[in-house]
Amino acid sequence: MFLDHLLSWVLLLPLLGIGVLFCVRDREMVNRVALSSTLLTFGLSLIVWAGFDLSRADMQFVERFELMPTLKVHYALGVDGISLLMVVLTALLSPIAVLCSWTAVASKIRTFMILILLLETATLGVFLTLDLVFFYLFWELTMVCAYFLMVVWGGAGRSPAGLKFVLYSFAGGLILLLGILGLYVEGGNTFDLVTLSEQGIDPSAGYWLFLLFFLAFAIKVPMVPFHAWLPGAYAESPTAGSVILAGALSKMGAYGLLRVCLPLFPEASAYFAPVIVWLSIAAIMYGGLMALAQTDIKKLVAYSSISHMGFVTLGIFVLNSQAVQGAVLQMFNHGIVTGALFLAVGQLYDRTQSRSIGDFGGLHKTMPRFVAMFLLFSAASFGLPGTSSFIGEFLVLVGTSSESFLKVLLAMSGIVLAAAYMLWMLQRVALGQPNTKAASLLQDIGPREMATLIPLAIVVFWVGLYPGPLMEMMDASVTHLVNQVGGVQLTQSSPGLTP
Amino acid sequence: MEFVYIFIPLLPLLAFVVLALGGSQFQGNSHKVGIPAIVGSFALSVLAFVQVLRTGPIEVPLYTLLQSGTLSIDLGLYIDQLTVLLLLLVSGVSSVVHVYSSRYMIGDSKYNRFFAVISLFTFSMLMLVMSRNLLMLYVFWEVMGLCSYLLISHAADRRSAGLAATKAFLVNAVADVGFGLGVILTFATFGTLDIPEILAKAPAMTDHTVNVLGWIGLDLQLRSVTLISLLLFMGAMGKSAQFPFHVWLPYAMEAPTPVSALIHAATMVNAGPFLLVRLSPLLVLSPVAMTFIAVIGATTALFAGIVSLTQSDIKKILAYSTISQIGFMIMACGLGAFVVAIFHLLAHGCYKAFFFLSTGNALASVEPGHGHGQDDHRKPQGMGTLYGGALLLACLPPFILFSGPYEHLWGVTGFASATIGFRIIGLITVFVTSVYLFKSITSLFVHGPKTYWPAIGQSGSDHSIIRPQFMNGSILMGLLVTTLILGMVLTLFWNWFAGFLAPALALADGVVGEGTVGVDFSIWLLVALGVAVGGWAFAFSMHANPWQQVGGSANWKARLYVLFWNKLYIDEIYDAYIVNPTVGLAQWLSHHAEGLGMKERMETVGRCATMLTDVLALAKPRLIGQNILVLIFGFVCTMGLLYVLS
Repeated sequence: MFLDHLLSWVLLLPLLGIGVLFCVRDREMVNRVALSSTLLTFGLSLIVWAGFDLSRADMQFVERFELMPTLKVHYALGVDGISLLMVVLTALLSPIAVLCSWTAVASKIRTFMILILLLETATLGVFLTLDLVFFYLFWELTMVCAYFLMVVWGGAGRSPAGLKFVLYSFAGGLILLLGILGLYVEGGNTFDLVTLSEQGIDPSAGYWLFLLFFLAFAIKVPMVPFHAWLPGAYAESPTAGSVILAGALSKMGAYGLLRVCLPLFPEASAYFAPVIVWLSIAAIMYGGLMALAQTDIKKLVAYSSISHMGFVTLGIFVLNSQAVQGAVLQMFNHGIVTGALFLAVGQLYDRTQSRSIGDFGGLHKTMPRFVAMFLLFSAASFGLPGTSSFIGEFLVLVGTSSESFLKVLLAMSGIVLAAAYMLWMLQRVALGQPNTKAASLLQDIGPREMATLIPLAIVVFWVGLYPGPLMEMMDASVTHLVNQVGGVQLTQSSPGLTP
Repeated sequence: MEFVYIFIPLLPLLAFVVLALGGSQFQGNSHKVGIPAIVGSFALSVLAFVQVLRTGPIEVPLYTLLQSGTLSIDLGLYIDQLTVLLLLLVSGVSSVVHVYSSRYMIGDSKYNRFFAVISLFTFSMLMLVMSRNLLMLYVFWEVMGLCSYLLISHAADRRSAGLAATKAFLVNAVADVGFGLGVILTFATFGTLDIPEILAKAPAMTDHTVNVLGWIGLDLQLRSVTLISLLLFMGAMGKSAQFPFHVWLPYAMEAPTPVSALIHAATMVNAGPFLLVRLSPLLVLSPVAMTFIAVIGATTALFAGIVSLTQSDIKKILAYSTISQIGFMIMACGLGAFVVAIFHLLAHGCYKAFFFLSTGNALASVEPGHGHGQDDHRKPQGMGTLYGGALLLACLPPFILFSGPYEHLWGVTGFASATIGFRIIGLITVFVTSVYLFKSITSLFVHGPKTYWPAIGQSGSDHSIIRPQFMNGSILMGLLVTTLILGMVLTLFWNWFAGFLAPALALADGVVGEGTVGVDFSIWLLVALGVAVGGWAFAFSMHANPWQQVGGSANWKARLYVLFWNKLYIDEIYDAYIVNPTVGLAQWLSHHAEGLGMKERMETVGRCATMLTDVLALAKPRLIGQNILVLIFGFVCTMGLLYVLS
């Protein structure tokens, strides 16, 4: 019974935590309940990983119940290598998000934790579900949770940022819904992703549907012309919100591209790939330049996130196995590293209520442990070899090189920009003399704060030095996916289709 | 038995891990972890040397880092004749630096951090020279950059230290774009990143070409080997501070003096020549790349020599002197004289370490704050060793570059007409080197430091702490002995040395096995030595008034002096044309693209909508499919909505 419904239990555990939370009032108890339910979910996700058959490319642990026979809506769950990686990432970041809110959230801690747990369930749902109706429901639920986290517990500019976030997400959600309905009509009246990807869609309809889905996912990633909601949303969310928003939610967009756009519309993907590749390169460079200009540390990390997600979309649409593998690995890495950077910025914010670079300086003296961790994650963020991002970026670049060296060169200049903005920020924040009296009196990070960073640091080194297990996890699924698209690319003979 | 060599890099790594995790608990005792580790790895290096001497290269496979499609990265240690010499140098100099630092750094508030990072630094360099795989080499290439960042920012209280650290890392990051592209192109060309495999495949791939202008529709075929060599060399130019990437090294002097010894003698800058020599069978396939390398090396050697002539800060002089000497090595590589480059690298490593540590001693002994004031021109101690070091360093290039067995190398790379040019550049640089070395020593230590104390990079330590007055004389003597051994190798065992290295290199035809004996005291060698002695004499003649005379009275002379004193304004040029425009563009973008208010956005959307209706009015709607029109309109409306709302 338990093992048959493993994935349902993964979804259910945070909900059970919410149920328990309704019964407790004490702040300490609330924290503990939330932490234990997220930790249990993480443990369960590891069990799923342990039971996962690495050699198979199809969906595993599949569960199906027909809910609405007239519309053929199923409650259907399943994981393949790509979604499993995202599930593990989400389940890993959630306890950390709880832990970093332990004392930082001043009011309404119970509601806060309920929202965090609901957000976890929703995000896991997006990665686990095989049915597009549920996909859409979970997708919208994440937005609602993230919105409330932002506007209730966020920073000073939270209401305009929240409005922008909701309007963008809502527009994206509507486009997604339109796409799903169009797919239902075109794809033979089913919402089932597995069936749809097996039977294929009529290519002529595929182009428009692809654009709809792509637009919805590109807003979530976000890719460059659709990113205006991001800096505000990431910067004004409470730390836990930023960690989950940047760490897990932005992966939903890239995951959608991998789960829906590539397998369902291979022709359209190949057709639009050149444009999307250039958009990704633009994102890498634009995000880097914008990060260079920031004076707010959290906004800097937010913009760097645009740049890094550019690598992910670049890898996805280069459409070969190394690049896609790199992109999936980079999704995981970006979640870990950006999450950690937001945690670090949050630790500074907790102490000074400031995120401005100019308010710090000279932290190396007062907060040596913090500076060491911050430097480590900054280095991981600009892809220092030996850290996780290097492996992902290198694979993406190797994959891209089969297309064009100019693109590799441009993408690499994004890495140099990343080193520049990160180190320049560190120079102003961590080195030199304190700029303000407050900065000279700061306390170094304590054991609880270390406990949020150390697991992420371990993951950074583990993936950087021994990425084997993660690569094996997704290898079969990615190869299957690339073959699906690649087969179409090879048979494509019309000259008009390759701009 | 082979697995024991894993401990060569593992010991310093363990020391790093223990020190990093132990943190403040080690305060004051950190060297007790660091020194045994590095000395142990030196001992194992000696063992490796003996085994390589007897049985040839050693291979220690580690594990598979990455497996994706055709890309497979197997990590492993590869210890051949070239590696083992570098291992001896790196672990040897690093041991000396560790022991020296254990006293030099006493009282420093970051004593533990210092030892942790120099252990990591040594580990990275050891792994770099033992890399069997180009990607693994790249990994440690970059990790070394991070270590230098950490060490240069050691005295982080000073703003200049933070700036210098950032600058050093970023200059290297730019150069490493070349390296990274080179690695990827290598994989695209050879389908592997395993160095011995690449070198074996290279001769068959000489005709393989890449179209470098395909992206603008042109057809410019370049040979892959040339492109790979040039790209990888770009990385080497960064790490080895070659013109025009040399700017970071003088700034790196912000690090404590022992670190300078480590960067200049054992790690970091040596990586460039090492890479070139390691890939020599690939490089020799491309005359274009070889010529480029030789020209860059010669330019750097001359340029840095002249600049150090004009500097007034002894640590800056030494920095430019290192740049110049590495330029010599790079030039030797470009000319196909790989054995010469490696010998120069080893000898320079020993001398430079020795020179830096004795400078540290001498400066420490006159440092203000040791109970006597700034006006008190105490003569520094340890002058004899400094003079000895200067003598060796000044005579080094002439000895090995102009010595007999390699004289004919000046013509091997197929551009014999340029040979005379390289010789003249070599001679000028030899002269300049000996002038600046002796000038700096005599003016600083004979006349005593005048008014420029603040310019000298101290370790940023608290002056109230009293250091041991004269440190580790015996270690310096040890270095002197090492240099004597190297001198003996040069004069007596040269053939044996070249023969020992030969299997690891691609030697230009007819270099080994011609039966050359020792150093042939040719006329060129005598001329070069004469020039070096002349430089010394010249320096002494200016002795009386050292800093004023160089500029002279003539206007153009003064201008030239100022030009070189400002290092040809290269730092300023980078700031003005690369750094500031980039930051400016970023700020402009963030103000104009991201910072638009609601009103401007509304107006822009309104204008676009008007334009769209104009266009639609021009076109005949019935010619365009109605649904397309509707879709476009819908799309534009959505986009406009998004734009307004953001």
